[in-house]
Amino acid sequence: MVEVEKIREEARRLLQEGQVRGVIGYVRGPQGVWAVPAMIRNPEDVDRLVWNPTCVHNLVLFVVEEKKEQARQKEPDKRPLAVVVKGCDSRAINVLLQEKFIEREEVILLGVSCENSGVVDKKKLLNLVPSQKIEEIVYGNNGHIVAVIDGERRVFPPEEVLADRCLECQANFPVVYDHFFGEKIKKEAINTSPGVDKIEKMRLEERRRFWEEELSRCLRCYACRSVCPMCYCTECVVDPISFAVEPTTTAEEKAKKIKWIEKSPLLSENFVYHLVRAIHLAGRCVDCGECERVCPEDIPIRLLNKKLEREAWRLFNYVAGMDSQAPSLFSTFKETDPEDFIR
Amino acid sequence: MRKKIGVFVCHCGINIAGTVDVKKVAQELSEFPGVSYTVDYVYMCSDPGQNLIIQKIKEEKLDGVVVACCSPNLHETTFRRAAQSAGLNPYECEIANIREQCSWVHKDKDKATEKAIKITKGIVEKLRWNEPLQPIKVPVTKRALIIGGGIAGIQTALDLANSDIEVVLVEKNPSIGGHMIQLSETFPTLDCSQCILTPKMVEVSKHPKIKLYTYSEVQEVTGYVGNFQAKILKKPRYVDPDKCTLCDECTQVCPVVVPNEFDLGLTGRKAIYIPFPQAIPATYTLDIEACPGVLPIACGKCWDVCEPKAIDFDMKPEIVEEKVGAIVVATGYDLYDKKNMAEYGYGKYPDVLDGLQFERLLSASGPTRGKILRPSDHKEPKEIVFIQCVGSRDPELHNKYCSKICCMYTAKHAKLYKHHVHDGQAYVFYIDIRAGGKGYEEFVNRTMEEEGVLYLRGKVSKVFEENGKLVVWGVDTLAGQDIEIRADMVVLAMAIRPSSGAEKLAKILKAAQDTDGFFAEAHPKLRPVESLTAGVFLAGVAQAPKDIPDTVAQAGGAAIKVVSILSQPELLHSPLVAQVNEHLCTGCSMCVDVCPFSALSIVEGKAKVNEVLCEGCGTCAATCLRSAIEVKNLTHLQVHDMLTASLGGLK
Amino acid sequence: MNSEHEPKIVAFLCKWCSSAGSDMAGVSRLEYPSNVIPITVMCSGSVSPLYILSAFNLGADGVLVSGCHPGDCHYIKGNMYARRRMALLKELLPYIGLEPERFQMSWVSAAEGLKFTQIIKEFVKQLKPLGPQTQLRRSL
Ligand SMILES: Cc1cc2nc3c(=O)[nH]c(=O)nc-3n(C[C@H](O)[C@H](O)[C@H](O)COP(=O)(O)OP(=O)(O)OC[C@H]3O[C@@H](n4cnc5c(N)ncnc54)[C@H](O)[C@@H]3O)c2cc1C
Ligand code: SF4
Ligand code: SF4
Ligand code: FES
Repeated sequence: MVEVEKIREEARRLLQEGQVRGVIGYVRGPQGVWAVPAMIRNPEDVDRLVWNPTCVHNLVLFVVEEKKEQARQKEPDKRPLAVVVKGCDSRAINVLLQEKFIEREEVILLGVSCENSGVVDKKKLLNLVPSQKIEEIVYGNNGHIVAVIDGERRVFPPEEVLADRCLECQANFPVVYDHFFGEKIKKEAINTSPGVDKIEKMRLEERRRFWEEELSRCLRCYACRSVCPMCYCTECVVDPISFAVEPTTTAEEKAKKIKWIEKSPLLSENFVYHLVRAIHLAGRCVDCGECERVCPEDIPIRLLNKKLEREAWRLFNYVAGMDSQAPSLFSTFKETDPEDFIR
Repeated sequence: MRKKIGVFVCHCGINIAGTVDVKKVAQELSEFPGVSYTVDYVYMCSDPGQNLIIQKIKEEKLDGVVVACCSPNLHETTFRRAAQSAGLNPYECEIANIREQCSWVHKDKDKATEKAIKITKGIVEKLRWNEPLQPIKVPVTKRALIIGGGIAGIQTALDLANSDIEVVLVEKNPSIGGHMIQLSETFPTLDCSQCILTPKMVEVSKHPKIKLYTYSEVQEVTGYVGNFQAKILKKPRYVDPDKCTLCDECTQVCPVVVPNEFDLGLTGRKAIYIPFPQAIPATYTLDIEACPGVLPIACGKCWDVCEPKAIDFDMKPEIVEEKVGAIVVATGYDLYDKKNMAEYGYGKYPDVLDGLQFERLLSASGPTRGKILRPSDHKEPKEIVFIQCVGSRDPELHNKYCSKICCMYTAKHAKLYKHHVHDGQAYVFYIDIRAGGKGYEEFVNRTMEEEGVLYLRGKVSKVFEENGKLVVWGVDTLAGQDIEIRADMVVLAMAIRPSSGAEKLAKILKAAQDTDGFFAEAHPKLRPVESLTAGVFLAGVAQAPKDIPDTVAQAGGAAIKVVSILSQPELLHSPLVAQVNEHLCTGCSMCVDVCPFSALSIVEGKAKVNEVLCEGCGTCAATCLRSAIEVKNLTHLQVHDMLTASLGGLK
Repeated sequence: MNSEHEPKIVAFLCKWCSSAGSDMAGVSRLEYPSNVIPITVMCSGSVSPLYILSAFNLGADGVLVSGCHPGDCHYIKGNMYARRRMALLKELLPYIGLEPERFQMSWVSAAEGLKFTQIIKEFVKQLKPLGPQTQLRRSL
């Protein structure tokens, strides 16, 4: 079991000794039980840190944002950041290291084990119990989730309440860390992706209909992109939303901006946007599930990334974020890569 | 401000105009945004055609021209030069290929016209974003590397050295000379091969401009035309050529006998040996694989007898680096592996020989001192069968190509056989006789008529031994009957294959091979001595089977091509190279990892292009997730706009 | 109506092999359907997945990427990177419902004019019954 007091102790030490400029972790949120990310800068605040099955966020996003913020500052604080990472989050760190977005010294990783379980899918749990009454959500035995409702403990089996990605997760403890809390229990994934299986089994027209239905709802609010720690690019090629038109921007610069897709959320453009994002995340997506969680339209975005995760493994034996020293999926090849699809 | 673009549509006589309505192409393009002038003309590449372009660039104040004509491989340079003479930057001229990729492959005029319009519109869109560029200047190292010391390499080396260019000649064997030094007499004049080659070999060894590395191999080549760096592995000979006096004491005591490569296994040699008396460099080599051990306890007999102490068991492989500006590949050939020819008993019966072995029998310095004797019993063969095209011209089972020289050397062999064995009978099985060459036809005819050699048109199905004779089963397709000949000796004209290390060398040099494994020339007709890799040239059989006169001619051609590069004060490198948008680059280094030419590095967190190394392949551009690196004049924007133009016009 | 449909194909051809191979088809006067618009790029390795998706978005019914055979790439290994990228795209497109026939890859050498024409003929034949590609096509 992860003892949250140990995490707090380490965080306090790091802050007191001035080793880090902040600790990114989870605290109890305004909506009661549901944890939210927080940047702790004072040792006095470390007692707010929590670790429980509601710690869903991928905090690596904040590492990315801090990094960008640093670049904007004239005299940035160069001390590292401490960050709480689950298994998936730690692999996101590895991808950032692989892509040299951050250096290893820039982060102190407080790795936490997912307790042979995972994090809770809020929607699933709320379907089972009314939200107001939940006072606490904690890990039980054998991956079970315990919710305290009106002072009463209710135990839920993992299949009922865990986020899909946790049910499918193959590495539920960090692969890279400086401090580790909890136990390394290798959990067998229940199914690596029933969602992908389902789509693969559909006939072509069904697949098309499925995705048309889903993607037609996409508002192109870009919440998925904003929450993704891998979408750290200065500008997104598909939709350069951050292309700043400044007074110095010449007409030619504007004309040279490629409009790969229309801004309006037409179905065709939504398709291209999501396909490009999927391809750009191939070999990089660690399946933290954040994109799908934040999507206001409940579009199963993970199923796109998951498909490519499956193919990257099947075709190239590649798993994202396992090794920060290895070349990326697309910047290497093997002589024996499959080519039966080539004429 | 938008460029003013002129579109020039070529009829190419009827080559284009026959299938494409060129007037309509010009008409449609005249309405296309950015196009301010269009015209069609019967032959754009002719002088009047080019003048028309020049004149209109000036008159219409064009900023760019698109010529819709044949493949850019043919006339891109022509039209760019014309544009340049009218004051345009050559990169403001682009070619729309409406001949090879359109008029020549379609019949329906409407459809072909429609396609030609789309192709041309696409190119107009590309040109719209082209930047004017200047070639990148690179300095030149005035030295050449020649790989392979057969007649091709020797001739190239001498031609270059005599043009005052320093030459580094690398030969993998202990001596230069290649296959020619193994030959007896050469067709069609029957002059002695060694007599005409050895003076050249000596000249190579004496020439102040030639640096010779024998028993050496090129291991690695980096750099680019004008500035290559080659790593050469010098295998240890264990004999110091400067001390060796050629006394031959060592071979007398060496206890190990292995097949002698020079005589193709017809004789043996010692573990320490000189390949042949006239070897260049004139020195011995210790074959470490055959030698039981350099420790005195294992053997060390040669070391004991060597008076000048030329033998040094401690010699180590050495890697030397040479900087050169151009490279010539002259690695020649090997004969087709005998494994492949089991049906002719090659490798099984000692009296079934290949052509080169027969050359050794004929050679005055060969194993039989020039007498034709059977290896099995040293008897003179009275009936001899020559089989042509063994392993050649057989796309199903062997090599599809014609090995070119076998018709001629078989005629030579048959003739020389008759000169030696007057009462013998020679038969030649052939598919047909290819004797294209000065004096060749006459040579073959004389062999048939004057020497009474029996030419049988047809194939041999089988050779087997019976009662000390080699039974040859074949068909005479002219007479339409099966033939059985009970022969004393069979000589196979084995196919010519690229030399064994060709594939490895091709990879090292990044030079392409053709489907048969020979080094590919840049153009089968117009650039036969250039490889597809800038600064790498080809000479001799390395490029394709050929005889000595052709080899020597090609060697001279390769030499002059090298001179044409090395005589320039500096070289021009294509400016179509990658460029980085630092605003977008996050320094992820994926591009650095993929670049096949190591042209990229990360400097201060951003990708940086070494323009001289960049070949402009664009692999980086497709790898970068952020479109932060692109190749000049073929950017993502240009591809996008080409797509829009060529698809937008569709119904 | 479907059998009447004339598919629009964009072919990204590497300059050194496949474009030269299609030139060879021309030199040999080998006929093939005019549905294909060639876009010559330096190397198959320079073809970004964006190009392919964009081609479909701009109305292509089919997209071909063609490069030199393995080992023959003028830039040594550009085609090897292309092979990886395209393998994943090849899996992804049918997963969202696009007919697998619509995106193809081939190796065509400078000598393989005949192979090029065969690929195009076959491609057109496969696309005709599928009708127009509307899934990714922008319709304003
Ligand atoms: C049986 C026979 C008879 C012939 N008779 C005649 C004739 O009468 N008249 C005629 O005109 N032609 C004749 N020829 C053809 C003649 O042999 C060739 O035209 C000629 O030898 C070609 O010379 P080359 O230098 O290109 O190749 P080669 O002679 O093969 O020389 C190549 C050299 O390169 C070296 N080499 C190979 N790979 C490497 C490497 N990786 N690194 C360094 N060095 C390397 C080899 O060791 C060799 O020394 C005959 C051929 C045969 C087989
Ligand atoms: S791949 Fe793109 S972002 Fe990465 S280093 Fe190269 S140019 Fe920069
Ligand atoms: S264009 Fe090709 S050669 Fe040039 S930097 Fe990019 S990958 Fe390297
Ligand atoms: S040049 Fe043809 S695939 Fe690279």
